[in-house]
Amino acid sequence: MPSIVPTFEWLEGLAWTTALRESPYGYPLIETSHVACIVIFAGLVIMMDLRLVGLAFTNAPLAQIQRRLFPWQMGAFVPSTATGILLFCVDPLRYYLNVFFLAKLVLLVLAGLNALAFHLKTYRRADRWDEDSQVTALARFAGAASLLLWSATIISSRLIPNNWFK
Amino acid sequence: MKTKTILVLLAAGALWAVQPVQAHHAFAAEYDQSKPVTLNGIITRMEWANPHGWIYLDTKEGGAVKHWMIETAAPSQLSRHGLKKADFTDGMTAMVKGYQGKTDPGLANGRTLVLKDGRSFYIGSVGGPNDGAEPR
Repeated sequence: MPSIVPTFEWLEGLAWTTALRESPYGYPLIETSHVACIVIFAGLVIMMDLRLVGLAFTNAPLAQIQRRLFPWQMGAFVPSTATGILLFCVDPLRYYLNVFFLAKLVLLVLAGLNALAFHLKTYRRADRWDEDSQVTALARFAGAASLLLWSATIISSRLIPNNWFK
Repeated sequence: MKTKTILVLLAAGALWAVQPVQAHHAFAAEYDQSKPVTLNGIITRMEWANPHGWIYLDTKEGGAVKHWMIETAAPSQLSRHGLKKADFTDGMTAMVKGYQGKTDPGLANGRTLVLKDGRSFYIGSVGGPNDGAEPR
């Protein structure tokens, strides 16, 4: 099986990844933007999820909360992903076998699938979220799953530098 | 009003961003405060890198060569303490004072670097024991 290592060595050796890795301000700025965007994204997602499970803003229609929060969530998600990819490219060999990094990727995919299923299925019936009990149950499930998956994603991200399992 | 709030938040974020991002992992998570080491040897390689740098240093113990991997602060902080990437050449002799790793005996957290010409630099990250090496 061909190894991914030469590809990562090539990526790590590129002029721009090397420059970022050695830069006094570029790297900290990207790293901080990454965290700041995640904080904004997670805060917005948590509020949406709390509404979905029925703990916050219960007097406002679910569809309206979703419509208002979604563009802001995406506005934070896109730059957090872009900066995340940049940070990986700067040091691929440090991350690719890190167990917390791999856990983070799996959790991101699961959280993404949960959000996708919600948008493609449950969201279609957004007008009946607050009336139809079956739809309400689906929305509650999506909210609870989202809370769990995003929390786990953030926890595993924070553990990446600790690298307990080398 | 909304725009103003957003601008204030952005400005605060920018200020926060230029602070050293060194609470990356805790000193105590990897290094042992009760195991100070003084290493005299040859620097085989220096990684001038974020989020922190690495000095690879070979010492001689008896007849055997021991390979050390010494964590340093990030490039921005090394620069602030007067070091340059060009101060390192592979094969140079140097002395490093620091603390040994908790589980990995070849790992150390560097605090002071003394070059052959006698110049001395603080290379430690923020955090960890204050042994007097940290500049005030």
